Amino acid sequence: VKLEGEYKFNGPREEVWKLVRDPEVLASALPGTKSLEHVGENEYKGEMNVRIGPVSGLFSGRLVVSNEVPPESCTLTVEGKGSPGFANGTGNVILSDLGDGTTLMKYVGEMQIGGKLASVGQRLFDTASKSMIRQGLESFNSALQARMAAKSGEAAFDYKPASESKFIAAIAKDMAGEMLSSKRVIWIAIAIVVILVIIAAIWISTGAGG
Amino acid sequence: VTKYIGQRILRNEDPRLLTGQALFVDDVEIPGMLYAAFLRSDYAHARLKSIDTSAARQRPGVVAVYTAEDMGEDWKPGPPLVSPPPTVKDVEFYSRTQVPLVKDKVRHAGEPIAVVIAESRYIAEDAVDDIVVDLEPLEAVVDLEKALEPNSVLVHDDLKSNLAACMVQIKGDYSKVREEADLVIKRRLNIDRGAAAAMENRGIVAHWDAKSHFLTVWDTTQAPIPIRNGLALRLGLSEHQVRVIAPFVGGGFGPKMMMFYPEEMLIPWISIKLAKPIKWIEDRRENFYATTQEREQIHDAEMALTREGRILGVSDIFLHDTGAYDPYGLTIPLNTQCHAMGPYDIANFYSEIKVVFTNKIIATPIRGAGRPQGIYVVERLLDLAAKELGIDPIEIRKRNFIPPESFPYDHKIIDQAFSPLIFDSGNYRPALEKAATLIGYDQFVREEQPRLRAKGQHVGIGIVSFIETTGVGPYEGARVTVEANGKICVATGVGTQGQGHFTSFAQVVAEQLGVNVEDIILVTGDTAEFHWGTGTFASRGSVVAGNAIHASALAVRKKILKLASEILGAPEDELELEGGQVRVADIPHQSISLGELASRANPLRGAVEPGTEPGLEATAYFGPKYGATAFGTHAMILEVDPETMMVEIKRYVVVEDCGTILNPLILEGQIHGGVAMGIGNAYYEKLVYGENGQLLNASLADYLIPTATEVPRIIVGHEQTPSPLNPLGSKGAGEAGTIPVPALFAQALENALPDYDFEIIETPLSPNRLFELLYNKEKTK
Repeated sequence: VKLEGEYKFNGPREEVWKLVRDPEVLASALPGTKSLEHVGENEYKGEMNVRIGPVSGLFSGRLVVSNEVPPESCTLTVEGKGSPGFANGTGNVILSDLGDGTTLMKYVGEMQIGGKLASVGQRLFDTASKSMIRQGLESFNSALQARMAAKSGEAAFDYKPASESKFIAAIAKDMAGEMLSSKRVIWIAIAIVVILVIIAAIWISTGAGG
Repeated sequence: VTKYIGQRILRNEDPRLLTGQALFVDDVEIPGMLYAAFLRSDYAHARLKSIDTSAARQRPGVVAVYTAEDMGEDWKPGPPLVSPPPTVKDVEFYSRTQVPLVKDKVRHAGEPIAVVIAESRYIAEDAVDDIVVDLEPLEAVVDLEKALEPNSVLVHDDLKSNLAACMVQIKGDYSKVREEADLVIKRRLNIDRGAAAAMENRGIVAHWDAKSHFLTVWDTTQAPIPIRNGLALRLGLSEHQVRVIAPFVGGGFGPKMMMFYPEEMLIPWISIKLAKPIKWIEDRRENFYATTQEREQIHDAEMALTREGRILGVSDIFLHDTGAYDPYGLTIPLNTQCHAMGPYDIANFYSEIKVVFTNKIIATPIRGAGRPQGIYVVERLLDLAAKELGIDPIEIRKRNFIPPESFPYDHKIIDQAFSPLIFDSGNYRPALEKAATLIGYDQFVREEQPRLRAKGQHVGIGIVSFIETTGVGPYEGARVTVEANGKICVATGVGTQGQGHFTSFAQVVAEQLGVNVEDIILVTGDTAEFHWGTGTFASRGSVVAGNAIHASALAVRKKILKLASEILGAPEDELELEGGQVRVADIPHQSISLGELASRANPLRGAVEPGTEPGLEATAYFGPKYGATAFGTHAMILEVDPETMMVEIKRYVVVEDCGTILNPLILEGQIHGGVAMGIGNAYYEKLVYGENGQLLNASLADYLIPTATEVPRIIVGHEQTPSPLNPLGSKGAGEAGTIPVPALFAQALENALPDYDFEIIETPLSPNRLFELLYNKEKTK
């Protein structure tokens, strides 16, 4: 599976770099992360709850940062495995200073997946992983804002990493959005509401609640 | 005139099956039973570095955990099922058989690494997650052509390459006729993998009784007797210490003929180790990884023809994917080879098989077993030639059929059983003509299709002929016994997976003994009842077991007549058997019941005369010289929705000739089921492997099997050309429904979409794949 994309941060490159290299921020940016500990100079070990469609479970893995050129680029290598299977990947991250106080992050990576993750979750993996990355980066950006606000002494920027359930809900929404066109979503929503009303009506009229 | 054979008699077994009174393996419950769950590899190709089972062993409720290492001396690769053909020279064959648990290297995703035995399946599965296994991933061998490149990674490190076998069969001189031909059609045809997807997954219960030193195994196998013999041999037991029961099985379709699956050897072995009954039931996801698959082949095929559409010769060079191991030898590709000439009189044939090891699940026969691929090749080439030459698809087939006077027709190559490929009998043209009539071919092409096309509907018609080699040896046997209550007990070695054996075999006995079919009790698949035979495969039940049952029924009839003649004081030729009675033909009240005769034949006092046997019982065997070849024609009319590429089958016709029909109702059921499977093979079912050998659609949410909405009503027409090779004149029909469907779909789809310049030279298709094939194709009109 190929992962590729870019994201614009509202902050200078050095700050973004520091953030990326901060395991605590890293852990909070990806909800579901149970732990992330520094085990070597550029190596982290951690555990993360993953849910992709019908596949869910705890992954334990290792993250290695290499080819570091601060504050420009680095290579991330991830090895994760757990009862839902395995996911191994390598990605390159490049940060470029856009000159207007913002930073553009570009990433390109290859993931190899196996086990239940591949056999059952495969068709959802692409969307789910994109969604996870997008949300992770948004969390990063919020953290960045919070940090910069604290530094400049402005009113504290309220940074709260998304909870795991919110995170999962957002992924589900992304996946549904990708599978259905917006027009259809509306019709399905209307249909669901109608069905709920009917069920409620039957429920009340038969007194099943008692 | 037959009274029972050929009658539409309702199935004896159905009341039990439909009311939940039939025993399946998972119904077996034994006090103190333990449950197994397997740790399977997530990687398709990886080196096993280490494995730590300590946490699993400590989980409460876990009784034992076994790895390859724990098996010690008992760890051995499984025995090969069949050997390479001894009668052909220049055969290369490298036998590498499946292992009970991975020792050094994982060779396909899902290969078992360890097994946990626990007080419940729940605990066992949780404990599987406790096992820490260190696998070093290796590059996976997936693509058949790349697998044979000199620098490819090897599936088996001790071999020079990933070539598992190669073999050439030649008839006549293809290269010579190729030069003389007016037209040569040359194509590459791709056929991909599918699953059998039986309704019941596999399952095993093994019970070693330490006090009686006796092992009982309930197994969803198609071959209980070879399983018993193999288990005894491997476990160091006498064959009489092992009883294998294949009870009712919810669909076999071939993969349950695989001997031995790792689980099939392990569960009995563990039962003996622990002196406990053990149950393992495969779950649906395991079924995708642990049960064998089939069909992947790449064909580079040619057909040389005259201007008149006469086939001069066929050349077919193909790669066959055997997966990680090749326990089933050359059976599938040999079947492909033997069907690549179809029902046609082809004098020149060159065929080269290359069998390839890959990091995919093992390939063994699935209903059709290589035959659909061969038929696909020859029928597609013929269709393309017909188009090129401007000849009607029906006409070009008629011009090439083996004429009825040419039977037995010797192809001068060998078949899957290493016997000569001889078509025993056949009359192909009437089957084709009947199918064309039943589908209304002329009328559709002349009137209906133009009318519907004018309305903008994309309707197409297809008609395809096929043969099916069936009923191969070596032999089967049966024992027929008349019981004191007048009922007849028939025991045979073949297992039953829904074929209607309890009825069609009973009809064969009823014909000889004149009893009602309901009064005949059939026992199949229990080695304690009958322990000679091989199994249910290759559409051989009605031919090989059927004729063995016929022979034993005849022998019992002889005993009945002899004894009744003495008792009734009338000559044997004046006696008749009817309604469970033997009576003197002209004096109906002078009679004796079969039950009374059976009692008299097994007296409690007095003496059984020397030279005679007690009881009314006989055992007989049947082994054919070579297989009987069934044949037929399928035709269909379908409509394609050009927006969704969904296909609706408007009409489906099968004309089947499998020799003497034992029970048309059961035969039609077999055909309906076969066609349903064929529709899956043609348009829905494809196992998708990623480039690292991961199976990407291992669930019934993603791997689509046809449901009632995709399977049309099927009109079945019968022809009967009895086989001269057996007394009943029967041929097999179990696989016939499946074989020609992909070729038929291809022809009908091309016919439905005449505005597109496209060819179908691959299977399985899907709505998505058809869209891809048509996308970017300029409409030619």
